[in-house]
Formats: sequence, structure tokens, C-alpha cells
Amino acid sequence: MARMKFLCDAERCIECNACVTACKNEHDVPWGINRRRVVTINDGKPGERSVSMACMHCTDAPCAAVCPVDCFYTTADAVVLHSKDLCIGCGYCFYACPFGAPQYPRVGNFGSRGKMDKCTFCAAGPEGDSTEVEYAKYGANRLAEGKLPLCAEMCSTKSLLAGDGVIIAAIYKERVTQRGYGSGAWGWQTAYRETVDV
Amino acid sequence: MPAKEEDAKMQDERQTALGRRYFLKAFGGASTTVVAAAALCPTDAQAYDPGEEEMRGRYRETDHVKAYYRVNRYPKQK
Repeated sequence: MARMKFLCDAERCIECNACVTACKNEHDVPWGINRRRVVTINDGKPGERSVSMACMHCTDAPCAAVCPVDCFYTTADAVVLHSKDLCIGCGYCFYACPFGAPQYPRVGNFGSRGKMDKCTFCAAGPEGDSTEVEYAKYGANRLAEGKLPLCAEMCSTKSLLAGDGVIIAAIYKERVTQRGYGSGAWGWQTAYRETVDV
Repeated sequence: MPAKEEDAKMQDERQTALGRRYFLKAFGGASTTVVAAAALCPTDAQAYDPGEEEMRGRYRETDHVKAYYRVNRYPKQK
């Protein structure tokens, strides 16, 4: 069985935030919640890198380990999902997650921040596939439609990879082998020559 | 009201009050026993199980997905 994974090729990410916008639009994500966001390190300095981050659908998910109401479950294709009917908005998963993936609709204390929301790998939740109820709670179910997460599918520089972990790891390996060092972006050597030290 | 009748009434009131206190004591003792019994016989935590239908894999290698993988690779050398 394929294991669904995200992989961000930091050599290609240009911090355009299109993945963030596409995700919000596709799932009608409410104000205050970003299921995906772009993190930039060394901003404005040589060696600047951007990485698109969301739920990484961990194999042994810490959010699921700390949830007091056990609302998380992992599907057969390794996507970590949760039930908003069971979630009590305690916030434990937010503190446990190393990627800051769980988000809440309101700022507040225990019980007042609302149901947790996070990236679903475009696989929605425990309601019937592609139903209105499912869409209202969790967003679109693209995986059931035979598609992949929209953030990865529409990435203009093909930085964000999503899908079967074995296949996307092979694609990334091929890229690293091809480009050797520096950026593999088209036109890089023309613009900066081979001598640029990044 | 004659003194005897008044005494009898007070006695009734005292008995009623004692009865109420006894009831509360008995109720408190019973609930403590139930809580202690529940604490001594814990059950395993049950993870949320939405059922087989919801847990099944939805990923399929459709033409759409194959095209995504293809365009993310470097073009094959001719």
C-alpha cells in the first residue's frame, strides 16, 4: 500500500505562497487558519531558503499520542485525519506537533478556541466521500477523486511534491543527482554562471 | 401552643433532619464506592475508529496522478 508523503524541494521554492492560497481556496478554510504556510530562513541573506510546511502525516503521529479524546486516525494510505465531532479544542496536539500544523478558528483558552483544523492531504475526514457535510467540516476530498493535494499539483516551480513516498523520493533523488550542487532551476547557470557559491 | 405539643413537634423535626443527613451519608458512601470500583477496574483507552470504509486507502494511480509524477521528473534524454 502506498504511503502518502509531502516533500518540499527547498532549492526550488520561491516563496510565492501560491500553495497557501490554493489550499485556502480549495477547502474554503476560514479566516485565521492556514493549513499550509511558507517558512523562510536567512531571509534576505545569501543562502536564503524557503520551505512550504503543513501537516507531515507522521507515521507515529505525536498529535494522536497526546489527544485526550483519541480523535485521530490513520488511513490505510498513511494519511493522519481527525474527527471534528470528537475534538474538544484542548490544544494539546498543537503543542505536540513539531511542525505547528494544528490550527484553531479562534484565539482563546481551553474549550473556547473551537475545533482543531489541519491539512488533510486533500482526503477530508470521516464523513461520506465528497459530501456537503464532509466539505463543510474538512474541505475537498481530492484523493477520492483520483487526484493529489492541490498545493503540490499547482506548484509553479514543482518544488512541492506529494504522493506515494517511494515515487516522490525517487523524483527528488533524480533531481539531486542531475543538478549536483546549487539550484536545479532552469536558467540558473545562465543567470549566475557555474561559479556562484550558494 | 401547649409545651408538650411543642416538644413533640421539635422532636419530629429533629427526626426528619437526622433522616435527611442519613440519606446524604448513605448516598455519599455509595457514590464513593462506585468511583473506587471504576478506578480499580480501568479499561484500555480506545482510539477513534471511524470504520473500515473511512480507513481504507483512497489513493489511486490514475492518469491524472501519473501525469503529475511525469511532469515533476526531468524530461527523458533523447
